[in-house]
Amino acid sequence: MKTRTVLGSIFASIAVLVIGWQAGNAATIAASQASASATTGGATGAASTDSTAGSTTSSTGSTSSKSKSTSSSSSASSKDGTYNGTTVQTEFGPMQVAIVVSNGKISDVKPLQLTNADGRSQQISNYAVPILRSEVLSAQSAKVASVGGATYTSDGYLQSLQSAIDKAGL
Amino acid sequence: MASATAKRAATLPTTVSAARSAASRRSSYRRRAIRSDLLVIGFWASGALAAALYLLTGGAKLFSTPAAIVTSLGIVTGLIGTDFILAMLVLAARVPAIDSAIGHDRAMALHRALGKPALYLILAHAVLLLLGYAATAHVDLVAQTVSLWNTPDMPIAFLGTGLLIAVVVTSLVAVRRKFSYEAWHIVHLLSYAAVLFALPHQLSVGGVLAQGTAQRVYWIALYVLALGSIITFRFVEPVVSTLRHRLRVDLVEKIAPGVVSIHLRGNSLRALESSGGQFFVWRFWTPRTWWHAHPISLSAVPTDSAARITVRDLGTGSKQLGRVPRGTFVSFEGPYGLFTDAARTAPKLAIIAAGIGITPVRALLEHSTLGPGEATILLRASTEDETYLWDEMQELATSKGAKLYTTIGPRSRRAPQWMASADASRGVTLRSIFPWLNDSDVFICGPQAWTDLVEAEVLRSGINAHQVHTERFDW
Repeated sequence: MKTRTVLGSIFASIAVLVIGWQAGNAATIAASQASASATTGGATGAASTDSTAGSTTSSTGSTSSKSKSTSSSSSASSKDGTYNGTTVQTEFGPMQVAIVVSNGKISDVKPLQLTNADGRSQQISNYAVPILRSEVLSAQSAKVASVGGATYTSDGYLQSLQSAIDKAGL
Repeated sequence: MASATAKRAATLPTTVSAARSAASRRSSYRRRAIRSDLLVIGFWASGALAAALYLLTGGAKLFSTPAAIVTSLGIVTGLIGTDFILAMLVLAARVPAIDSAIGHDRAMALHRALGKPALYLILAHAVLLLLGYAATAHVDLVAQTVSLWNTPDMPIAFLGTGLLIAVVVTSLVAVRRKFSYEAWHIVHLLSYAAVLFALPHQLSVGGVLAQGTAQRVYWIALYVLALGSIITFRFVEPVVSTLRHRLRVDLVEKIAPGVVSIHLRGNSLRALESSGGQFFVWRFWTPRTWWHAHPISLSAVPTDSAARITVRDLGTGSKQLGRVPRGTFVSFEGPYGLFTDAARTAPKLAIIAAGIGITPVRALLEHSTLGPGEATILLRASTEDETYLWDEMQELATSKGAKLYTTIGPRSRRAPQWMASADASRGVTLRSIFPWLNDSDVFICGPQAWTDLVEAEVLRSGINAHQVHTERFDW
């Protein structure tokens, strides 16, 4: 093989790897700064950053449950409250969620621990959790499809969720 | 000198046109060299990009703990291994741009060279990820394997790995000899299944290629490119071409014991734009022969309605070709190969051919526009019976002003071993036949071992490697 080809291949490959490495580092730093600012925002911070996509659905969901609650408020209120699910070990670290039950329905899912083994799993959590939350709220169960590309996160999330549902006796 | 049958046409002024064609040859060679370089650089860069896809997801953080390092290496090996396999598909797809840049035989040599590294990378991917995940989750390997097996899309990925092992093992030289070409080919087709079986777990379990990321789009594009090349150039294009040109056997002519010329008739064959020296992969549709595909060069430049190939019965399949009836439908893939005038880079032409290797050389000579004295030809045969098409070569040499030498008889025991012993012992050498060897393009075609001997000696003369052209009939 010619020197030109060899050198060209080496330089092109190194350039691609260096760019990937740098961009990866930059993205991780940006992500960790974002999560740091979120945690300083208080206990609800984590939930609020996760649920930006799902917040509109949850508000409409809560209004509809309120309108229904007038008919069946007495029986449902006994189960109302917040239930923590068990902690599930996944490939990317422990995972735990809590559900908020009002009027006998799941009105919110709060992440207590999200997979954060590395920058990637944080990223996965950041996009997968809002999707899972809105699906769970509309299905009112843990029997929803896992999010593509986030199998471990989805499985951990839904497993912890199921245990919380079991505790609530829904 | 070997039984010299030198014939030379009257000397004509060749200066202007020869100089111009030499310049255009040099520039076309430069263009080809650049394309070939870009192909190689693009290949390595795509491997690096596969690794970069993963680095993009976290940079240094991905390598923070021992378990993370093992996991990261596992993911990177999987990405690079898959990238290599997709590159192998592209190399085997007979893409015209690749064929004209590096030639089909070199593309297939690269394809073969990548097979084992790609398999090792995929196996490393499986092993490293099992170890890495097990270490992260603090479970033993068995539990980790069970857990992975129970993950959606993973069983089929394991199956894909198994198929890949089967494909590579059956392609090892020692093992492949035990299989007929057709049996090996069927196993080899499983590689398409292996590649497809691996895709679901990459897209669902692989966090690198998560939904909504640019990485996922790029990766799917790679798959589309690789499988698209295969579908287009291995399946659609040959079928369309076959149906368009409607080739049928016109006449099977026995030209020597065990050697036949098959004359074919078809429509608008010039539109194939085949250059003399290129080959096609032929299939003759009779009940006994249709499952054999034969890579055979045209032995003459085709007219618009007629083409000719010349075949020696080297295998069970080609033996039956001598008996195909007139009117047999013929399907084909091609033309392929860089054993043509287009590959020339030097002012002179040297042709060395033996046995049935005469066929591409004959078409090459017929197709070339040559100045008087530009070409020198050496033909070799073990016996007088093997001088296939030599009469035609004689005529062509005369009309093109080329010198033609022959060397007949058993091969010499001492160097040069590729020559007949009678000529070698008389002191005939490569240099005495081809005095302008270093200013020549050397085209060599013959049995594999013989071709290797000649090529090695030609290269020892210090000639530029790009001036040496050999054709090995590779699939």
